[in-house]
Amino acid sequence: MQEMIAQFKTDEKHLENIVHWHTIEPREASSVPFPERMDETIRKALQKRGISGLYTHQATAFRAAVQGKSLVAVTPTASGKTFCYNLPVLQSILENEKTRALYIFPTKALSYDQKSELHEMIEDMEADINSYTYDGDTPSNIRQKIRKAGHIVITNPDMLHSGILPHHTKWVSLFENLKYVIIDELHIYRGVFGSHTANVIRRLRRICKFYGSDPVFICTSATIANPKQLAEELTEQDMLLVDDNGAPSGKKHFVFYNPPVVNKPLNIRRSAVLEARTLAMEFLRNKIQTIVFARSRVRVEILLTYLQELVSKQLGPKSIRGYRGGYLPKQRREIEKGLREGSIYGVVSTNALELGVDIGQLQVCIMTGYPGSIASAWQQAGRAGRRHDEALIIMVGSSSALDQYMIQNPEYFFSRSPETARINPDNLVILVDHIKCAAYELPFQKGDTFGRAEIMDVLEFLTEERVLHQNGDKWFWMDDAFPAHNISLRSASQENVVIIDQTEAPDNKVIGEMDTFSAMTLLHDEAIYLHQGIQYQVELLDWEEKKAYVREVNVDYYTDANLAVQLSVLEVDKQKNFSSNEAAYGDVSVRAMATIFKKIKFETHDNIGSGPITLPEVELHTNSAMLSLNPEVLAWDDNRMEQGLIGASHALHYMIPLFVMCDPNDIHVYPQVKAAHNEKPTIFIYDSYPGGIGLSEKVYEKVGTILKETRNMVERCQCESGCPSCIGTDTASQGSKKDAILLLGLFAN
Amino acid sequence: MSLKNKLGRMKGHMKLDSQDKNNTGPETKTIVNEKIPFIEKWQENDTTVYWFDNQYCFIREVRYPINYRHGKYSFKELIDVVGFWNKSPLDHPLSAKGLGAQDLFFFDTETTGLGGGAGNTIFLLGYAFLEKEAIVLRQHVLPQPGNEIPLYQSFLKNINYDTLVTYNGKAFDWPQLKTRHTLIREHVPRLPEFGHFDLYHASRRLWKNRLAKVKLSAVEEEILGLKRESDIPGYLAPMIFFDFVERKDPEILLGVMKHNEIDILSLITLYIHLSRQILQVDGYGEETLEIARWLNYLGKTDEALETYRRLLTHGTNGERITARHAIAYQMKKNKQYGLALDIWLEVAESGTIKQKQEALLEASKLLEHHYKDYRKALMLSSKLLEELEGLSSSSATLVQNLYKRCERLKRKLKASN
Repeated sequence: MQEMIAQFKTDEKHLENIVHWHTIEPREASSVPFPERMDETIRKALQKRGISGLYTHQATAFRAAVQGKSLVAVTPTASGKTFCYNLPVLQSILENEKTRALYIFPTKALSYDQKSELHEMIEDMEADINSYTYDGDTPSNIRQKIRKAGHIVITNPDMLHSGILPHHTKWVSLFENLKYVIIDELHIYRGVFGSHTANVIRRLRRICKFYGSDPVFICTSATIANPKQLAEELTEQDMLLVDDNGAPSGKKHFVFYNPPVVNKPLNIRRSAVLEARTLAMEFLRNKIQTIVFARSRVRVEILLTYLQELVSKQLGPKSIRGYRGGYLPKQRREIEKGLREGSIYGVVSTNALELGVDIGQLQVCIMTGYPGSIASAWQQAGRAGRRHDEALIIMVGSSSALDQYMIQNPEYFFSRSPETARINPDNLVILVDHIKCAAYELPFQKGDTFGRAEIMDVLEFLTEERVLHQNGDKWFWMDDAFPAHNISLRSASQENVVIIDQTEAPDNKVIGEMDTFSAMTLLHDEAIYLHQGIQYQVELLDWEEKKAYVREVNVDYYTDANLAVQLSVLEVDKQKNFSSNEAAYGDVSVRAMATIFKKIKFETHDNIGSGPITLPEVELHTNSAMLSLNPEVLAWDDNRMEQGLIGASHALHYMIPLFVMCDPNDIHVYPQVKAAHNEKPTIFIYDSYPGGIGLSEKVYEKVGTILKETRNMVERCQCESGCPSCIGTDTASQGSKKDAILLLGLFAN
Repeated sequence: MSLKNKLGRMKGHMKLDSQDKNNTGPETKTIVNEKIPFIEKWQENDTTVYWFDNQYCFIREVRYPINYRHGKYSFKELIDVVGFWNKSPLDHPLSAKGLGAQDLFFFDTETTGLGGGAGNTIFLLGYAFLEKEAIVLRQHVLPQPGNEIPLYQSFLKNINYDTLVTYNGKAFDWPQLKTRHTLIREHVPRLPEFGHFDLYHASRRLWKNRLAKVKLSAVEEEILGLKRESDIPGYLAPMIFFDFVERKDPEILLGVMKHNEIDILSLITLYIHLSRQILQVDGYGEETLEIARWLNYLGKTDEALETYRRLLTHGTNGERITARHAIAYQMKKNKQYGLALDIWLEVAESGTIKQKQEALLEASKLLEHHYKDYRKALMLSSKLLEELEGLSSSSATLVQNLYKRCERLKRKLKASN
């Protein structure tokens, strides 16, 4: 491996593309002896594995947890984070057989993985401790046993939400004795999903209180800017931050790789996908285990197709696999196993493999583009690196503004603290959903709060809607529905589109599902949908029934859809005025409609056709930050103003995820030359989720910094008059870049 | 923006199913110890008010004379079948041995939703039992969500029986009762332990081939000779109850109560009928074959064999073959190989597709292992293999094993020549 790295470093064909080479020196372990309180059984089991002490962070977590203090441990990949919760939990069960613990993992894949690890530990301890996963796949004949006798129940938030809490009366022994709640991969609980989960935890704690328990929360998180704050917002408990990482790590090389410019005036670089493909091939041919991360499902499939074509003859067709959400659990298990055992050399993944799924440690990690957040980049990088071997991490920049900013400012990446994760548990839509679920579970009483939320108005509202019934000073569920079934924790629009393959009709098969909002642009009629490297064309999207019928095809293009937006301001909640501009924050109504799609050829990325999309408009009420300019400051005509605003918006959209932890899809940036509510040139930055999840609010708070950095980014861009890396190519005129810089400057004043 | 305003605005995103919910009825807030609305109408319908802890529920009670006929049987035949069980040596899940007819507790609930879940409220607990010369039917009715303490208090202090008789109560009614009880367990007596006869399972065993869906109403109509007039379908019960909570008029709820009453009475008739079938009081009948299978499943080999034999004389052609096929297995177990082989060779000619396949396989096994007639065994196995390979639904392991068997037989045949 060392040779390979040296060779890569000196290879001429890479030399001019390597922008930055950052070496992370190996770290020695920092260990302490087993804590005194630790049971002999656990010590012996650990010693059997050759472990004679704990890393500092594990010991800190152990001591705090057994004393009943909630904590959040921040740990890099492969630092033995599971001990942070497994050891105190096992200790407490050994001390009191009645103790129960609930493990919550964000995905089923993770819970499966953790169960095997926990089982091995329990086996080594030769202790009589039952741990079970309880999720949608759990056979009904063992469910009862789990409810009564499971010391450790491993589940996911969705199952907790719809399968456990609404049935709490069947889980009396769990809730009466619940001592620990484990929340692994805390950083995943942000945005909509986090806001939902925070409410699920409110429900959980309400039920615990009913049965007389008050569990300790142990969270583990990847590095983000605000782990303690996020854990406290999610659980509404005081948290101890444990970040004294004592785990060792091998030497790592972190390379920033920028594909060469192929179009000078437009500053267009060679596609990151193609570049990543070439790099991955080099390693795979040498049988070096490599993981390639791509940002979207589509890119995963494209890369997979490329690589399988090129290398499969040499290594065998099953040696390179794709991995992403939408694959069936069985396929995933098989891939994870293959990676651990080494029968699979390469895997192309979305961020699904960022999480702690155990695939062993690989040797090389290639990121196709900046993964969207610093936290995410470090998570992905952590996939490469064996304890006693060197590892190579390559980040290949795409043409996008954010990527170019990162690639060209490596000191920014390596010095900056990662992003802030935001949730908004009091988002009304989400809150009301969970108050319904909570009322189904236990009646509410006058004066009750729901976590920190005041809810009397909501209870009265739901009573008026005939969902609740008020009897004296209590509110009871009064509806024939099972509310949790209609509420999905993950997708914005609450209802998923099922993807049905009718290639072998009448033997139709369900191959995956997708949230409705994404479906508008990815599963419209004639869209090319990729699944496991296979191209499907959507023959019919049945919007009413939420079904997409697809058929296998073999074409040389993919599709890309446009979304048109109309926006009006409902109410302004906060406002700051400056000499030439104003910034505001408030409620808006957005109407979005998918309009047309383009067919784009592989390899050349040429536009080779287009077609209309006929789907109904989707209406969204949400929160927005609004940046307006006093019109007298600039005497520009509308056209010039529009071009300038479009350019500035494009740049802002790319930069915001740097400051607020979110996917670019979680926010929208939309300019208006003359906004209806104040008649001023305005840029709207709004949350994609109904009611907002705190992203645009954070943008409003940090508006000065965001504008300043965005302006710097555009200014430093090497293009002449705007390129996809800064203000985009939607602007037509020559002066747009200068205008955008000017506007960003004026907004920041 | 005020919270109320926001709630109004966000309503579209909330999936509130507000069908007819917006034409608001009268205010529904309850004042403790208030005058009970429509009390006269309740009283006219055999209902009294039960107070506990400043809250109330309704209890309706009606009595049916023991000679009252509901469907095929009159209630007094309940006493007869309990007597039969006590005299019969058969140990069976539905056996009332050791019990008197007065120990049975026929039970059914109505709820505000489908499926189990903490929020699915039971608003009617209905039951019937034998008392002296009458069947007493009682229904405890929840006046509104939240009045559950008097509901369960009145119910629990009234029941003192040995065995529940329900229709799907093992999976639904009883767990749901436990769930709702858990929510108020500090305020009401503990739930007693019960025996439980779930007639749904028994009915499925006997009639799943005859009825498209083994619902109680289907069993009533097809088996028990009962036809309901203007019955309220069960799925409407939640809506009707919510309407009643708003408007308070018992008239609204009476239909659901009647429905529940008939359900419970039918449980008595159904228990009588099932008992008579299982004990074969009336000799051979349409159910005899399923009874025999059930006995066999329960490990009551002798009783099963006896029942199969009865089919040989009384059953239809198909039933006779099925019975012989089953008897052959028993004979094989008793080492009466010759008799078993004869039957299977016959079944292999005239049974159903599945029976033919089983018979071919069994006959082939006997020929191979006990008669060492490899040639004939191979012939039968090959025939079966050919048939199975022609079917797309055959199990892969079965085909594989059979293939192995054929190969082995070929080897043995060669060696013996």
